[in-house]
Amino acid sequence: MRAAQELKNFVREARAMLARERDLAEFEIYCASAEHRVARLAYTSDIPSRGVEELKSHVADGFTLRVVMRRDAREIGVATEAGDLSLEALRAALTRARSAALVDPHFPGLPGTARLPGLPKVANRTPSKPGPAAADAAVGGLMRAGDAPLVEAAWRIVGGALEAFTRLPTAAHDHRPGLVLGGDVSLMRDRMALASSNFDGLRTEAGAHFTCTVTALVESLGAKGTASALGATLGGMRAAAARAGRDAVLRALALGGGQRPPGGTYRVVFGPQPVAEILNYMVVPSLSTGAFHAASTAYHGRFGAQVMDERLSLLDDPAAARGAIHRGLTCEGLPARRTIMIRDGRLVGLLSNFYDSHRLATDEHRAEKLGPLGAEQTGFPPHSGYRLGESAVRRFDANPGSAATNLTMRARGGKSERDLIRAVGEGIYVGRVWYTYPINGQRAGDFTCTVSGDSYLIRKGVLAAPLAPNALRINANIEQVFAHPLGVGNRTQPALVWGAPEAYYTIALAAGEIPFTAIEASQSAME
Amino acid sequence: MFGAAELLKKEGPDLLRAFIRGRRGAVGADLRLEVMFSRSSSATDGEARSAHEGESAGFSVSVRVDEPSGASGTGQTGVEVGRLALRPARLFAAIRAGLAEAYERARLSAREKAALVRALNKYSGPARSLASVPPGPRAAVHDEVAAVYQRDPRTLGPGELQRLCRDTSARVAALGPEIAFNAVAALSEVREELFIGSDGTLISQGFAFSQGDCYIVAQNGDGHQEIYDTIGQQRGLECLSEGWRGELMPNPDLLTFALELAGEARELAAAPALKPPDAEVTVVTDPHFNALISHEIIGHPSEADRALKMEAAYAGRSWFLRSLEDNEVGRQVGSPLMSACSDPSLDGYGHYLYDHEGTRARRVTHVDKGVFHGFLNSRDTAAVLGVEPNGSARASEVFYVPLIRMSNTFLMPGESDPQQIIADVDHGYYVCGSAVPSIAESRENFRISARRIYEIDHGRVGRLYRAGSVIADSKDFFMQVDAVGNDLRLIAIPNCGKGQPMQVKRMSNGGPTMRSRARLGGG
Repeated sequence: MRAAQELKNFVREARAMLARERDLAEFEIYCASAEHRVARLAYTSDIPSRGVEELKSHVADGFTLRVVMRRDAREIGVATEAGDLSLEALRAALTRARSAALVDPHFPGLPGTARLPGLPKVANRTPSKPGPAAADAAVGGLMRAGDAPLVEAAWRIVGGALEAFTRLPTAAHDHRPGLVLGGDVSLMRDRMALASSNFDGLRTEAGAHFTCTVTALVESLGAKGTASALGATLGGMRAAAARAGRDAVLRALALGGGQRPPGGTYRVVFGPQPVAEILNYMVVPSLSTGAFHAASTAYHGRFGAQVMDERLSLLDDPAAARGAIHRGLTCEGLPARRTIMIRDGRLVGLLSNFYDSHRLATDEHRAEKLGPLGAEQTGFPPHSGYRLGESAVRRFDANPGSAATNLTMRARGGKSERDLIRAVGEGIYVGRVWYTYPINGQRAGDFTCTVSGDSYLIRKGVLAAPLAPNALRINANIEQVFAHPLGVGNRTQPALVWGAPEAYYTIALAAGEIPFTAIEASQSAME
Repeated sequence: MFGAAELLKKEGPDLLRAFIRGRRGAVGADLRLEVMFSRSSSATDGEARSAHEGESAGFSVSVRVDEPSGASGTGQTGVEVGRLALRPARLFAAIRAGLAEAYERARLSAREKAALVRALNKYSGPARSLASVPPGPRAAVHDEVAAVYQRDPRTLGPGELQRLCRDTSARVAALGPEIAFNAVAALSEVREELFIGSDGTLISQGFAFSQGDCYIVAQNGDGHQEIYDTIGQQRGLECLSEGWRGELMPNPDLLTFALELAGEARELAAAPALKPPDAEVTVVTDPHFNALISHEIIGHPSEADRALKMEAAYAGRSWFLRSLEDNEVGRQVGSPLMSACSDPSLDGYGHYLYDHEGTRARRVTHVDKGVFHGFLNSRDTAAVLGVEPNGSARASEVFYVPLIRMSNTFLMPGESDPQQIIADVDHGYYVCGSAVPSIAESRENFRISARRIYEIDHGRVGRLYRAGSVIADSKDFFMQVDAVGNDLRLIAIPNCGKGQPMQVKRMSNGGPTMRSRARLGGG
């Protein structure tokens, strides 16, 4: 990764050079350096395996140049360069940006422009309070960690899992237990620097976080358990590694011999992971200005309306004290701020970037898309404009999009999980779901997924028996989950969703009348 | 930047050999370099939205180490070097640094593995499977494969893609107020991939990709419909501007494609949502829908890394393999009318001749007359399975590690006339166009939504429904196939995700018209 000073020096020099170009009305130079290191777990007791796959990394640095031509304030050109932070590279990018310039009638100017009404004035400084990652970095934490802590963490997870499995007197200790460990320890870190004709100073920021996911299968028992952690400190990563392997194996062993109930309609407690997964694939994609402009949101025409139970709220907080991700700046150089999207069940805010804020504000069909209660909404602040890559780190050549950081669902009047289970009485505790997709498009709100582990049958108000993984498929709509829950949880817990750029902190909730179909037992790899 | 590949062809092999010679325990190293030029553009609701052209370059190195303890390890480093590829000294310095980093990672991992094995030896069993299996063999070849195109993406006018997207989007928007939103995107790119192995392998492959994407939201009263689809070829822009008339994977030009899609969206927005019957019904599935069946239910579970449980935490395992001893190889998994294969040699979006481990790609038969035959593999997984590597390990970008991926993976054609397959149905449903898949953990069960579902009544296609999907246990669905059409078509799949970090890969999937039985889901 490039040093922060190197990025700053480059954007400073770039700004000076670009300011001399007479045909440019505005310009922005965004420079990012990012790294993703991954140690993947791949242990199988009955098949030769490496235990930990090759430690791998991907380093990407470079810049995006955006220029607005003086001859037409709506004419914008964009060019990117990888690897080379030199004025020679900048000149080459400028030539290409001019060549690729196009007139976008809805282009509002670059962030910080005075041409966009209805938005808060942009602070001309970078946040000074360090987040957890920055504080950790100051003592040689995640930002400076080499390969050794990552490799050690991965092998520690494997070792912890195997020790736990081996020490337990259990039926799984036959000659072919079918123990499988998968998952990874990932370390993501990035730095950015941004200069613009619309900002006085430079905008710079650095961040780092880790994720740790472990899935343990004991195929001879048809059992699956998981453990996950995320955080912003090296100490947190080590602590997670020390327990994750063991926890996943013990959870799997506790779920052995699971039952396969018939299809039908059940009362359900959704644990934090399923709630996070449904939010990630079904709700959050509907909560951006871009989705409203494209008429593809499940809440089309319902801005300002009650869209969830009045006990539920959903917000994104890039400065959350215990959040794994800490961002003070968006990738557009604007302050990253907390966005409350659902307050007491009412849709009150949207994730947005600079362009989409303007596009929705000037959309001629805005009244229809937002609905009668949203028509008076004057502006959606661009507090969530990020340029992220596949690894959820800032990427030098990505276009600004709307993304969340630390997404939190919380509830008023919540109950403990035990009370939720008691309230359900007879039903299913769903602890993990798989492959959740908007089966009829985002706007319809219909989703389907399979119950893949960490789940139980509920009888007489208690967890009565483990549920076999992959025995049931859910076919439901988000309204059935969030509109009239039987009960909501009182404890927000972290949850990871594969491939999601956000960290989730969610509650459990209980819902009635959730339709399931059964999956044929003989075809499962668990059998 | 394309000159960097020429330079490395000359000097790369010596660089790798010298590195291996000078490092204790190093037994092999691979170097991949990729240089790419791309142009892309997009428009929404008839107005230009973005345009981009760029050159990029990156490399990846992988080093394998055998430690004196007997433990082996591998390490990888991937770097996007961009314009530094223009400066030989900087490029070589970056590659040497990458090799050193990958080597140290391999040693570190091997040492940690050896320590764990020692610690676990007091128990019988769990460390046994950590024994190293050397990767499957690779013939050291020299070969060069050129990209195929009529119009070189590097010579296109800067406004050409912009105009294509904007004009197409404008024509879609002009269809009427039912079109609530549309987005049209197009790209054309050329890549050169270089693979150098420390065993003397030196392969250069060129690729051209051109792709058009269209997303439409239509609404009509209370009804609404989102549709997204892609056309693409390993060709130049000619396949978008003029269409492509290849036998297996033809496509109309981008404008015709987008207008047809928009017309379908409008029709669907006015159609009722399917109210699914309670019981299993006869379904006739068309080639586009079967592309997703072949992708999700045949292709993914035929990937050996998934079958060997290496993807268990992410995209799951395979219903074709419960264990090395108990699996579906040689067993009936479908009707005798049903066969499926992956063939990277065919002219589809997943075409290639060598994979990213330097192995020559082969056609792999997955299912032959209903009997499961074999997996797509890498050198490592081939060794575990005791078979020859078949050249299926590929990365989406040069800086990622290769994963086992589909190529042109499809259900093979039968002999029936597709019209007759429908005509022979007394009552059932004609399922057309794939939309969204949701798959059980081992792909043993699926719910895949269709773009259109028509009721079949006395052999005739009748009323159209939206928001319908097919729900089935995979083996039941395949075993009940009682007719297979002669109308094989491949579909360009632009966005197959796999791995951690997620790699998004292009490929082709497809099949002929088929008839089976399944439950239906509605909206």
